[in-house]
Amino acid sequence: MKKGLRFISLGLLLASVSILLFACGTGTKDSGSSKNGESGKRVLVVGTDATYAPMEFMDEKGNIVGIDIDIVKAIAEAAGFEVEFKNYGWEPLFPALTGEEVDFAVSSITITDERKESYDFSDPYFIANQLILVPEDSKVEKFEDLKDKRVSVQINTTGHTVIKELLGKTSSKIVAPESMPLAISEMINGNADAAIGDNAVIIDYKANNPKVKVKTIEDDSFEKEYYGLMVKKGNTEIIELLNEGIKIIKENGKLKEITGFDVE
Amino acid sequence: MDFLDIRWGMIWDYRELFFRGIGVTLALTVVGYLGGFVLGLFVGMGKLSKKKWIYYPSKYYVDFFRGTPLLVQILLIHLALIPGVFGHSLGYFVSGALALVLNSAAYNAEIIRAGIQSIEKGQMEAARSLGMTKNVAMKNIILPQAFRRMVPPLGNELIALLKDSSLVTIIAANDLLYAGKVVAGASFRFWEPYLTVAILYLCLTFVFGKIISYVEKRFSNSYVPTQRKKMFSTRR
Repeated sequence: MKKGLRFISLGLLLASVSILLFACGTGTKDSGSSKNGESGKRVLVVGTDATYAPMEFMDEKGNIVGIDIDIVKAIAEAAGFEVEFKNYGWEPLFPALTGEEVDFAVSSITITDERKESYDFSDPYFIANQLILVPEDSKVEKFEDLKDKRVSVQINTTGHTVIKELLGKTSSKIVAPESMPLAISEMINGNADAAIGDNAVIIDYKANNPKVKVKTIEDDSFEKEYYGLMVKKGNTEIIELLNEGIKIIKENGKLKEITGFDVE
Repeated sequence: MDFLDIRWGMIWDYRELFFRGIGVTLALTVVGYLGGFVLGLFVGMGKLSKKKWIYYPSKYYVDFFRGTPLLVQILLIHLALIPGVFGHSLGYFVSGALALVLNSAAYNAEIIRAGIQSIEKGQMEAARSLGMTKNVAMKNIILPQAFRRMVPPLGNELIALLKDSSLVTIIAANDLLYAGKVVAGASFRFWEPYLTVAILYLCLTFVFGKIISYVEKRFSNSYVPTQRKKMFSTRR
């Protein structure tokens, strides 16, 4: 009898400690589930995959930060709403939109026709293109040279799409791990001859890791990519709101201030 | 309602990935299990050892691999251990198989240890009093009896390992789950690819389940072979 009580109390203790810790982790900036922030403006929940420095990533305090995040905050300010960021990871982001867990997504999402079939996008707010990252002694000079090589990309990104077109969509030479840092690690560790990713991320990686002997290769055959904010298909109200914000920050120069270039 | 609008065509387009996925998943499971069994036998015996320098490493080995998530072990091995030791990666298969071997060895070690300990002390004493050495008694008397009791939990471990092998997808192993993820990402449809993956896993576990129940029957006490050879008879 006594033994049983001891077990139960131990279990209760463990449960309460874990709830306490969990509350600590989330209680910092919890705005509750109400749709209105402190200032009475409506709060939109924004989903992202925060493993994509410098566009969106976690700082040491666990806050989601980055260029994309700054842009969305500027848009929100311009269009008069508040935002709450949630880290979903890349792939769960898409069903989270469909299931209305998030109001819109910002995650360096390139606007593609394929994605347009299932989701709606705001106007573009950022121009990107694919870059190739190879070891310093590599003989690769252009995208075509990767034809018989192993190439690492983050799974189901636009980089994955372009390499599928070159190597075939079920090729075993495509190394596609879960996140961009992992994809770059595959190349560094010799599992792949090259990595392909968005220019901002690749350039940021190179700047932050000067000791690693790699070089970037540009290829004009990559099409320009435009990032957009993604919303659930048919949610015109949010689209209009976002586009209004994007229009304002394009006109008042705020967008250029953040990214350093204009987006037509 | 597009919930019912299911299109299987794209699964067929990507069939090569699914076939390769089945192969990789099976290969990872079989390699991981056999390696884990052999290593687990040593570690499990080590946990029964009276010698401190054998007992403690075995104990800590099991504690570590049972006390940390397999996903963490996979990432550690793939991104830190192998590049650290060899200077470069040896590919996802080596990392994945090694992680599964080390992980399942820990679980198998416990099964093997418990199996051996469940045999009554009297068996060993009787064997020893017949003049057998410890090792001979272990090999001929204890292990055959213990193995019979180990079969069901070892079978469970095989099924668990097959399912856990899907975690290797994070390091871009072209396993079964990877195929589903690629199709889902390319089409933005989630029902078909993941349902296909689930059904394929179910088929694999079904086949393994059949094998396990055959082995269980084969080693059970009431097993009667269909064609018994007359080795010797008590009557003349």
